[in-house]
Amino acid sequence: MQSMSKTALASAALIATTAAADTPFTGDVPLYQEQAIEAGIDHHYTGGFEFFVGGGAASFDCNDDRLPDLFLAGGQNSAKLYINHSTTGGALAFVAGEIPTLTDVTGAYPINLDNDEHMDLIALRLGENIALRGLGGCRFETANKHFALDGGRDWTTGFSAIWEAGAQFPTLAFGNYIDRDAAGSPWGTCADNQLIRPQSDAADFSASTPLSPGYCSLSTMFTDWNNRGAFDLRITNDRQYHRGGQEQMWSLSGGGAPRLFTNRDGWQKLVIWGMGIAQTDLTGDGKPEYALSSMGDTMLQSLDAERDGDQPRYRDIAFDRGTTAHRPYTGGEVVPSTGWHTHFADFNNDARSDLFIAKGNVEAMPDFAKFDPDNLLLGDWRGQFSEQGAQAGIALDRRGRGAVVTDFNADGMLDLLVVNRDAPASLFRNLGVESADGHAPMGNFLAIELDNGAINPQAVGAKIVVKTGNLTQTHTVQIGGGHASGQIGFVHFGLGVAPRARVQIKWPDGKTSQFMRVFANNFIRIERDNPEPKYWYPQAQN
Amino acid sequence: MRLVAAALLAALTPIVGWAEDTPWAEKTHALGVFDSPPAGLQSGDQLDRLLDLGEALFAAPFTTLDGAGRPRATQAILPTKTKRPLRSAFARTSGPDANSCASCHNQPVLGGAGDFTMNVFVSEGFNNHDFDTTDPEFSNERGTNHLFGAGLIELLAREISFDLIELRRDALSQARASNAPIVTTLTSKGISFGTLTAHPSGIVDLGDISGVDADLVVRPFTQKGVVESLRQFSINAMNHHHGMQASERFGARWTGEADFDEDGINDELSGGDISALVAWQATLPAPRIWAPDSPQWQSAAAKGQTNFTAFGCATCHKMALPLNSMIFTDPSPFDGAGTLRASETADPMQIDLAQLPWAQNLVRNAQGQVMVPLFGDLKRHKMTDAEVATLGNELFSQRFVGRDTFMTAELWGVGSTAPYGHRNDLTTLDEIIRAHGGDARASRDAYIAASKSNQQEIIAYLKTLRISEVD
Repeated sequence: MQSMSKTALASAALIATTAAADTPFTGDVPLYQEQAIEAGIDHHYTGGFEFFVGGGAASFDCNDDRLPDLFLAGGQNSAKLYINHSTTGGALAFVAGEIPTLTDVTGAYPINLDNDEHMDLIALRLGENIALRGLGGCRFETANKHFALDGGRDWTTGFSAIWEAGAQFPTLAFGNYIDRDAAGSPWGTCADNQLIRPQSDAADFSASTPLSPGYCSLSTMFTDWNNRGAFDLRITNDRQYHRGGQEQMWSLSGGGAPRLFTNRDGWQKLVIWGMGIAQTDLTGDGKPEYALSSMGDTMLQSLDAERDGDQPRYRDIAFDRGTTAHRPYTGGEVVPSTGWHTHFADFNNDARSDLFIAKGNVEAMPDFAKFDPDNLLLGDWRGQFSEQGAQAGIALDRRGRGAVVTDFNADGMLDLLVVNRDAPASLFRNLGVESADGHAPMGNFLAIELDNGAINPQAVGAKIVVKTGNLTQTHTVQIGGGHASGQIGFVHFGLGVAPRARVQIKWPDGKTSQFMRVFANNFIRIERDNPEPKYWYPQAQN
Repeated sequence: MRLVAAALLAALTPIVGWAEDTPWAEKTHALGVFDSPPAGLQSGDQLDRLLDLGEALFAAPFTTLDGAGRPRATQAILPTKTKRPLRSAFARTSGPDANSCASCHNQPVLGGAGDFTMNVFVSEGFNNHDFDTTDPEFSNERGTNHLFGAGLIELLAREISFDLIELRRDALSQARASNAPIVTTLTSKGISFGTLTAHPSGIVDLGDISGVDADLVVRPFTQKGVVESLRQFSINAMNHHHGMQASERFGARWTGEADFDEDGINDELSGGDISALVAWQATLPAPRIWAPDSPQWQSAAAKGQTNFTAFGCATCHKMALPLNSMIFTDPSPFDGAGTLRASETADPMQIDLAQLPWAQNLVRNAQGQVMVPLFGDLKRHKMTDAEVATLGNELFSQRFVGRDTFMTAELWGVGSTAPYGHRNDLTTLDEIIRAHGGDARASRDAYIAASKSNQQEIIAYLKTLRISEVD
């Protein structure tokens, strides 16, 4: 009887999915215009085998104008800093900034290591990772010694950070790939990952703990997977090189020794070519779903409703939701595609999560697509996703790797930067929906900046809840995930047709704010212990 | 009054697609005549046709063949599905509660106010959307406002909004240039909306603004002042009261469905339909001060006018506000997604209100501005206090506006639209004056302290504020 029910359900699901695939997407498709060179960004991520992976970008504000600036990994080329000079609602414009010369950079994440007024950077490298200390005015200095950070000598491709309960400074996780010096490398020779907890009273990151075994990770993310207010460390791993490995999640045990979740905990073995992690809450239960990029498919994991207790047991819903993205959607090649950076965001401001996946052949793998355009999977009213990359204008013949999704020109629409291997970085300006007269705005939006005070000022780990009508959207402020790429700054929400929203913040220490009432199409600053949100206006708009 | 029913049928037949329909079909033939919003400045003939259409839609008793009813959608302004089919097609509480706009807006004429029996029950429509009780635990009960002069009201609100936003912009520019915080007083057309502090970083502190929303957009419509445009209001009301859903909010672009309310009719209201409704409402004549035949009444009203100011009533019920431009454009520059936006039309509809016959009676000041005699300030005020709480009978805040706070009622037309109060439950002007508490307490106290004859003179004056078509 039960078996029949499951069969019936499966049939129904298949029919529903087929119907979903046949249903045209009726929402707004944002029109993206690639304008990197015009905007002043001329950058390639290049190099040999070690740089087949990586290719990340960091987005953050380094000069206090609240516009996102960029740090781009270069592989064998030098990493570059680009300072945002875009006009509000206008053309994107960047000017190269001065930074210490750094080659062999695979990726980067912004982080405020010392809780001061300037953002710092962690540059992931083939070899010693480097902390770049922000000095203000987009000036940086190498600061491993200042922070007592041993950058190691691994091939690092992943990073994440979180302020653990009661800590003044962040806990850092470095995800490492292949141990090149081990016998038999690269097959089965994965380096350990590293967990670094700070000293209690100083931004001193000298105490490192190996997270062993490592399975050639390509992305790491601290995540509050069961919405209990504590963060564990999720790692996605590349089956191409590990032997006997699997996807991993480390329990941080409330500040205790890290411990791997195992089958006894309900964690189920999953082996993929894991490249990138993104999370969002698609089901509205406060517990995130995860998009894991891979080669040939994309996993979309949701906690299994039939799991026992509070187990981290997941069910793949990619097929149900239409996010498998398993082969190119255009170009005619019927072979698997290769996914890298994953990122949930609302690209068309319709109040539904969309999913971006950077795609591109590792180098010249014959069994995988050569022309492998990036995905833009737009969420619809029913919770399904529809591929609209071609219509959006992002289907370029470039091998995508890392990416940043942010609003570079403060017009309320998310732009997109993609770092490509051996090709120019792509900078896509979101022009809005195409109309008879050019372009028109899409749904309403809200952009939220948090100020958590003296410790963890950017409120990493905070959960933002935005309610419009019966719809609840949540976003956790994170450093980590994606593919070697991180960003921090205003958090963007699409509001659809809602003219206003109620916003509640669960701060990193667990304290929950009152609901605040804000109007759509504004940039909001919410300060801890201040019940009145403030509004921010970019330079020209005011 | 335009008499349109039969005439419209004949007039519109050549341009509509329903020629195959019988004239007696049980549907609204004016629907869909204009699929798209009209563009540009409307000529006399264009405007006449548009207004005929708008009036026909305003007066039409919508039927199920039109799409009336919303069995699977709530009254919420955001497209929201019911959890289960509505129990009945009509409900005086949760709605749909009316066959036509005109069934409530009819005192003293089409477009006017409504009696207590025409009250509506306002809820957000997200939870308990199918309430079947008048208990204030579930909704706020509101009287039906008249719509005369609505175009001028929206134009005034837009100009004030632009002024306030310009003040904010200037303050931010100064703060950025001087690298120091700038405190700016927000005043427009003589109305103070408090102060804001602009910081060099671009952050604006809005803790001291007054009577206006944080985005400094004046929303002049509804008794709480929460709707910025006739277009937005029309779309809201059409869904709430009739289950007629406008495609620009409930259509496939935002909901994935052409028939969001699942009543079997797709795309019930076109952009052109909404434009016609907006045009008709925006061009309704401004109420004016009527000159009674009785010398005694004239004398009393004159004294009442003086005391209206002396008692402080005119502090909020400002007798007139200056308007720079009489060009009404639709869409509004302040509407957001889900209501047609100016940025979505290459050539927005324009109506020159100054060309309309009733506009010739409006007074202009020395600067050439039209003095709109609205008897209001387009600002929200707290209306209750510990001793005077008659108007504090609601349990819900509405769209961020506290339960004791209301937009100053424009008094033009008040002589034609009894009863009074936001619940329409005060039968005389004397009663509603005595119900003023909170920010209006001093004026109310002055009225109560005045002699009986002074009080009657105030009433005599207010009774001259009439909707034009009465006389």
